[in-house]
Amino acid sequence: MDDSLEAEGLSPMEEDLVETDRKRKRNASIDSTLQWSQWQLLDSILPTGGFAHSFGLEAAIQARLVSGPDDLKSYIIDLLDNTGSLLLPFVHSSTMNPTLENWQKLDRILDATLTNEVGRKASISQGSSLMRVAAAVFTEIPSLKSMRDVCLGSGSRSGVVCFHHAPVFGLTCGLVGIDSRSSQRGFMFVTMRDVISAATRLNIVGPMGAAILQHQMAPVAEALSQKWMDRPLEDASQTAPLLDTIQGSHAYLFSRLFCS
Amino acid sequence: MEKGKVVVEKVGPSDTDAAWIYSLTYGGGIVSGDSISVEFTVGDGCTAVLTTQASTKVYKSMGSNCSEQVLEARIGSGSLFALIPDPVTCFSTARYSQKQVFRVVSDSSLVIVDWFTSGRHESGEKWDFEHYRSTNHIFSEGDQPVFLDTVLLEQGGATRIAERMHDYQVIAMVIIYGPKLKHVQDQVQENVKKMMSQQLYVPSTRLGRHGKTNSDHCLTRPAFIASCSVFGPKVLTYDLSATMLLLEIV
Repeated sequence: MDDSLEAEGLSPMEEDLVETDRKRKRNASIDSTLQWSQWQLLDSILPTGGFAHSFGLEAAIQARLVSGPDDLKSYIIDLLDNTGSLLLPFVHSSTMNPTLENWQKLDRILDATLTNEVGRKASISQGSSLMRVAAAVFTEIPSLKSMRDVCLGSGSRSGVVCFHHAPVFGLTCGLVGIDSRSSQRGFMFVTMRDVISAATRLNIVGPMGAAILQHQMAPVAEALSQKWMDRPLEDASQTAPLLDTIQGSHAYLFSRLFCS
Repeated sequence: MEKGKVVVEKVGPSDTDAAWIYSLTYGGGIVSGDSISVEFTVGDGCTAVLTTQASTKVYKSMGSNCSEQVLEARIGSGSLFALIPDPVTCFSTARYSQKQVFRVVSDSSLVIVDWFTSGRHESGEKWDFEHYRSTNHIFSEGDQPVFLDTVLLEQGGATRIAERMHDYQVIAMVIIYGPKLKHVQDQVQENVKKMMSQQLYVPSTRLGRHGKTNSDHCLTRPAFIASCSVFGPKVLTYDLSATMLLLEIV
């Protein structure tokens, strides 16, 4: 990088260049800080309990719809497609407008949209954990804690906020300063991360195979993110009804490793 | 474009238990570009059934025309509305969209069956349509969303529709909602649980610590898969929540 110039006796054009350079360095410094936060939000070590959920994979195995790595690949594509079509509009809206009012509205709509009880409970469980962690971790953003406290304290089942995952994820990203495209892509990433992790624990694929698979699937995941991102709420739809049914039947499994 | 309107105000004497209404289309099908819109009001304390005479056939799409059906229904206090049509069958290259909006009050009851098949599978058409979209929305008083569901299947996506359906040929969703149907909800939940518990097991190739054995450990898929979920608000005296099934049948 260029050394900064002494701003002495510079022409107006040169002064502009110096100012632009300073701005760029300031933004780069903000961007760097942001990257650390972004990596932390997407890191599996963040204690949000994502690993209790298999996203219907365990039920799919017990229904013999998935038995090996090829089936797994198709399953993940279907899951990501459905995540994109159904949930990205919520992530997008909450990132673009990370206010209490919008969050409450999105949460209410998503609660009526997640008609599959298993999926709904999983979403609430992950969202609650994420909100609790985010409020504790990002102390420089006091509104995270205050919004959480408002919604917790609103009484039992007046049902103001259920803490669904997608709106909380978007809200957190938005308040931290992550842009909407990265936020939506991030949501797809954590979904893929968690289902692949579930696959290793269900012995469909080993840890090395899982890592290879995750990288192989990145182009598909990116394409699906691009396809479904930045859409309005009214467009939210499910594109994998069989997957939805299978996930819903998780409750009937006699022996199970996962909550959902 | 032809535009018609039919208003039916009285379907029977006031001591009728339930009014059965059959909706018929000319030729028994929907052709490319058709748009059908129906408004329904079920008064307080009434029971109405809306059904069809045969499956709704959606013919191939000309150009990129989409056929659509829209239903708006208001259900009054202490009423029951049952929407139980035959399934929709989309032919090869068909484009079809339907939207059903139900506005209920706190003690309305609803039965909604929304189902569709893979196509004319005797002719070899399996999930061969271009575009299928079905929306079901239930709103309670004050436009509060209770149930918002849209299924969208489009060719040219990440996976072919046929592959995504894994040899299943029918998808059905059944909504059973409201105080009049509590006993039905309970029964259905129990039945689905019983049926599915038998269908799901850890496949024998990975039997480890799970000792559950079945006489046919084969890896064939269940002939049907169903799940039942509860949704909606719970109210003090009775459960307004309802159950929903999704079935896929080979």
